[in-house]
Amino acid sequence: MADLRLMLPELILFAWAMMMLMYGVIRKNVGGNTMIYLAMLGVVITGFSIPMTGYGIAFGGTFFVDKVSVFFKMIFLGAAFFAAASSSSLLEKLKSDHGEYFTLILLSTVGMMFLISTNELITLYVALELTTIPLFVLAAYRKDSLQSSEAGLKYLILGAVSSAILLYGISMIYGLTGTTFINLAFGRLLEQSLGMLTLTQEVNMAFIIAMIMLIAGFGFKLALVPFHMWAPDVYEGAPTPVTSFLSVASKGAGVAAFARLFYSALPSFGEFYWGIMVGTLAAAAMIIGNITAVLQSNVKRMLAYSSIAHAGYLLIGFVSLPTTVNDTPFGPASIMFYMLAYLFANMGAFACAIAFEKNYGSYEIKDYQGLAKESPALALTFTIFLLSLAGIPPMVGFFAKYYIFLAGWPNYSWLVIVGILTSVISLYYYANIVKQMYFNRNETVLAKAHFDSPLVITLVLTVAGTILFGIFPESVIKFANNAFDAFPF
Amino acid sequence: MIPLEWFLIVAGVIFVIGMIGVIIARNVMIIFMSIELMLNAANLAMVAFSREMGTLDGHVMVFVIMTVAAAEAAVGLAIIIALFRNRDTANIDEVNVLKW
Amino acid sequence: MELAIFLMASALSIAASILVIIQRNPIASVMYLLTSFVSQVILFIMLNAAFLAMLQIIVYAGAILVLFLFVIMLLNLRREDFGKDIKLKFKPLAIAFAVVLLFETTVAISSSAMLERAQAQLPPEFGSVQAVGMELFTKYLYPFELTSILLIVAVLGAVVMAKKRL
Repeated sequence: MADLRLMLPELILFAWAMMMLMYGVIRKNVGGNTMIYLAMLGVVITGFSIPMTGYGIAFGGTFFVDKVSVFFKMIFLGAAFFAAASSSSLLEKLKSDHGEYFTLILLSTVGMMFLISTNELITLYVALELTTIPLFVLAAYRKDSLQSSEAGLKYLILGAVSSAILLYGISMIYGLTGTTFINLAFGRLLEQSLGMLTLTQEVNMAFIIAMIMLIAGFGFKLALVPFHMWAPDVYEGAPTPVTSFLSVASKGAGVAAFARLFYSALPSFGEFYWGIMVGTLAAAAMIIGNITAVLQSNVKRMLAYSSIAHAGYLLIGFVSLPTTVNDTPFGPASIMFYMLAYLFANMGAFACAIAFEKNYGSYEIKDYQGLAKESPALALTFTIFLLSLAGIPPMVGFFAKYYIFLAGWPNYSWLVIVGILTSVISLYYYANIVKQMYFNRNETVLAKAHFDSPLVITLVLTVAGTILFGIFPESVIKFANNAFDAFPF
Repeated sequence: MIPLEWFLIVAGVIFVIGMIGVIIARNVMIIFMSIELMLNAANLAMVAFSREMGTLDGHVMVFVIMTVAAAEAAVGLAIIIALFRNRDTANIDEVNVLKW
Repeated sequence: MELAIFLMASALSIAASILVIIQRNPIASVMYLLTSFVSQVILFIMLNAAFLAMLQIIVYAGAILVLFLFVIMLLNLRREDFGKDIKLKFKPLAIAFAVVLLFETTVAISSSAMLERAQAQLPPEFGSVQAVGMELFTKYLYPFELTSILLIVAVLGAVVMAKKRL
């Protein structure tokens, strides 16, 4: 029973998801925001139950709780909270109560929470599928829209292919080491020096290929180049609250799994190849993501390409993992902080886009002209999020990029330079929207905007997060700094 | 005793055939079947390694993979049905409203 | 003798897989996929995986492929609905990619063969239902229960997607 106590948050969220499903069926009067508030309440309760579990290992090592998993769980819960709260206009369009919608979001979140709490490859795979299969359905949720169905199908096909590649890599790891427990597997590789890339040993070729397959499998979730092709289409076609959930939570799950896997794998990988490989992926993501985002006219596609670029920035944190050996490991902390900043800014930006679409019916950037005149609050909040994504102080995004670059500078300064240059490029397309809102005149007069209360809650909280954590980043950094060291294996 | 590598080569070939199928297929059902081929190849590799190691971890993994494959197939086919209701074709080239 | 069975089964499996992807009629593809699966069952049996072999027939051949057939027939896909089934411009790229991948995999496998690993002495019930069940319910209990949540998601997702009006 003590094992189950460690799992309390996941169990609560799972039970809540089931409860919402059943409640949605028996509910008589349809409409209103009751389901939304119910979902938000469930997420909040789960969040409060997280400190109650303590740290520990359960079920023979296949499940454990440590600081890193607690941190990421909070991020996933935050993403679910904001995504559920942004869903009011979507549910209005669908004209039915849709308990299933929230059930799918919550179950996907449960999958993510399981994903970072495991040390074992079989569980990792199941949790990964538990995370992504609801997202396939959610992306295709607007059955009346061809775009949505197509987005779901594309996402599913590429997701299934990438998970098949991941599986083949897992099978090779199992074949090389004889175990599916991550720390044991890489420990065995280390002691048999199978991973060390010396020129005389051809044995590690299998290991390299296995790792490439694992990177390919997870790289898809992260929308890394060259597996990024699904992201713009799926982001554009899926309903926008689902897109916001995808952009943060699915990326966070990919980052978390990546981190778990490769932080354990690192001593056996041999620093040279790992850094070059991941560094190249990071640079490609930043360059391609940012440059293509400049050309976009649709705000959802622009945010999709910008999220590809942000995956690149995150990867800089990964290559810096091996660099700080004597000091505190700074790389992991910077990754976690960046995820936090990305959560607030991105969910907020999507919430603004949803609010805009609800009132003015468009996702095209040129329709944002003159927004500041009619709806100054919305324009201001959107500006805050865009500037945070670009990395302008005093928003949290600035510190996120600062820490990431700081972590990467000692050994990978070329990568940091690429990061800085591409950030300057990103400033162009973020600021373009701000310019449209503030400085362009609109011919047609925009009506005053109305906002739903859940949407208001989302906007307020995300803005608060963006600004507060920008002013006081130290507490988060301190927590994150010791987190990766406390890996209990 | 058949050596391990031969099974792995068979698995590898089937995996690659599945991957080619995903890339070149025009009909979305063929894409799904190619995905099933890839998963099957991973299954075969797992079972072969499991026999080599003498442990049953591989068998458990295959058990799980089959479950997941069934779940993915069910959801995928349901999405195809939903898509088909909107658009009367399974030709993947016509299902390309969004730019690639 | 064993070698002959292995060669026949693997050749059949590979040939059937190739035929799956180049068919124009999806029902024929499903039949070839079934052939590929059944020949893999033979390979599983050769690898002492009795339980998994039966599971492969029941789940893959019996459930998943039947589901495929149902959907193909439900959507009433006729032969005329498909264009040329192979996108010609992608063909050289796909084949090149596949050759590279196959080469790398073969290199990897042959290099791993250099590991001097004594073949483990297999207990007689290796791969039987009892043995796999023992593993499933002791060491891997938690992932096993996790798959049940996955199945809930699958049912929910399929119903949500396939129903005309919820």
